Amino acid sequence: MKQSGTLLDLVDVEIGIPYPRRDTLVIVRKANFSVNYGEMVGVVGESGSGKTMVCRAIIGTLKRRGAEVIGGQISFEEQDLSKISESTWESLRGKVIGYVPQSALAGPNPVLTIEKQLAEALENTDGKGSIKSRSKELLDLVKIRRIDTVLRQYPYQLSGGMRQRVMIACALATNPKLLIADEPTTGLDVTVQSQIMDLLKEIRKNLGTAIILISHDLALVDDVCDKVVVMHAGATVEVGDTGSMAKPKHPYTIALNSSRIDIAKPGGELITIAGNPPSVGEWMAGCRFALRCTYKEPDCTVGEHPPLFGERGGHQTACLHADKI
Amino acid sequence: MTNELLMEARNVSVTFGSGATTVKAVQNCSLILHTSEPIGIVGESGSGKSTLARVLAGLQAPIAGEVLFRGKSVFKGNKPYQDGIRNQVQMVFQDPYGSLNPQLTGLSAVAEAVSVHKKVGKQESIAIALKLLQRMGIGKLDALKKPRQLSGGQRQRVSVARALSASPSVLLADEPTSSIDQSAQAQLLKLFLGLISDGLSIVLISHDLGVIRYLTKRVYVMKDGVFVESGETEKLFNDPQEEYTKLLLASIPGELGKAARQKLGR
Repeated sequence: MKQSGTLLDLVDVEIGIPYPRRDTLVIVRKANFSVNYGEMVGVVGESGSGKTMVCRAIIGTLKRRGAEVIGGQISFEEQDLSKISESTWESLRGKVIGYVPQSALAGPNPVLTIEKQLAEALENTDGKGSIKSRSKELLDLVKIRRIDTVLRQYPYQLSGGMRQRVMIACALATNPKLLIADEPTTGLDVTVQSQIMDLLKEIRKNLGTAIILISHDLALVDDVCDKVVVMHAGATVEVGDTGSMAKPKHPYTIALNSSRIDIAKPGGELITIAGNPPSVGEWMAGCRFALRCTYKEPDCTVGEHPPLFGERGGHQTACLHADKI
Repeated sequence: MTNELLMEARNVSVTFGSGATTVKAVQNCSLILHTSEPIGIVGESGSGKSTLARVLAGLQAPIAGEVLFRGKSVFKGNKPYQDGIRNQVQMVFQDPYGSLNPQLTGLSAVAEAVSVHKKVGKQESIAIALKLLQRMGIGKLDALKKPRQLSGGQRQRVSVARALSASPSVLLADEPTSSIDQSAQAQLLKLFLGLISDGLSIVLISHDLGVIRYLTKRVYVMKDGVFVESGETEKLFNDPQEEYTKLLLASIPGELGKAARQKLGR
């Protein structure tokens, strides 16, 4: 049932928090990227760059945080996700689009056994066989051993890696077309991290699930993804295939790349990015990276944030002077 | 540079609990540390590396073995670091948010430590604290902020400044970079390099081999409370002997792990 073509497409997405007596606080402006069927896409950026908010827009949980999509389009299989009703969301969220939350340790419900947890996820599916046999299949899929024991256990009895596997199993219960994994390995050991990444790769290969992997680890994304999306201060600043991203063109990506510890010589130069990303509500005119940029020109600080230059689907960079760098 | 022996752990063991629930956290671990030397202890969670660090810092007495600082035993009975050498070994913890007082600004947190260690007046301790913070890349404006107003990387640098206020000769850093992002990590490692060249010895505890490789000269690999392999960092990376070390190397994301993964056929 493998399909090809674009599954999810974000065009100039804007997310804001509306306030009754003052202007809407814009937290994401100009998020642009697409995900093909069965593709694995990495979204990287510093804390506060809007990665998680974009995720929430894709699974329709922005309202719970008081935010909403205020511009642009999020097309998912010909539907515009920014305009659909809550009842339509119910048929998408957790069914066609699966979500693995950031904190593996706090993710599962602490008072439910793994069996009940999976049963909840499987409730509205019409798969073959009983819920119990489906649960076992799912745990087998995420490579949990001693399945019968684990089904009877509570989250606190499992290790961090096991808990994250259970969360992935829950997200896969409905055989989604898209799986969003928000920093799935933060706080886990490197060895466990590499096992989880192997698992995601296998799921993609065997089930054809498209995966969005949110991370701040460029090296990790480089390893497992087909495409990389770099975000800074609520905007997509660079998009490209993993191969072409080895030679980044946006100053922010260049700086991120040179602070990569896996490439640096021991004790050698590590480039650090000056300052912090601008806070939400304090965005300046022009490029929002300009204040931290070493290649800044006078025209960088006027007008709108630069759009993504280059062909959609190819390597794109949101920098006015990318050709000179 | 003459690097003399500064600190030594001899056959240190620590167990927790008793009877059937005894946990052998550290078993027979020996290590040496020279002046101005960065060493690493690497292992998964639960391998005992933090417990060993606590022993070195004098926060936990070993049930067997001893720790020597400049040739003298650190633990007299259960009391560590007597005779005014307590300030010589300082520790930076994993979670800077949890280890800084949320009520105090970065400046007062460091100044408090300065006045304790240096026994100076208020004005002078503030001046010294400002200098320490500046060295850690925290300007006066940020020094007057409380922990919640600082970024993770800045908070960690405030903790380092506070540890340095005792003018230690050894800094024990327990996973200092695991809760901060990549660019903040680069900043912190750069500062550590500077401190090492100024004569500080650093024991870096981490599960991130990338950080270990960048900073340290020698490394100890720990598994289930035992050192399974140790040696020069570069040698260990190029030619790991133990299966466990090979597995650890293959788990590093990015370029570093790629070669190791190929060797393992993954």
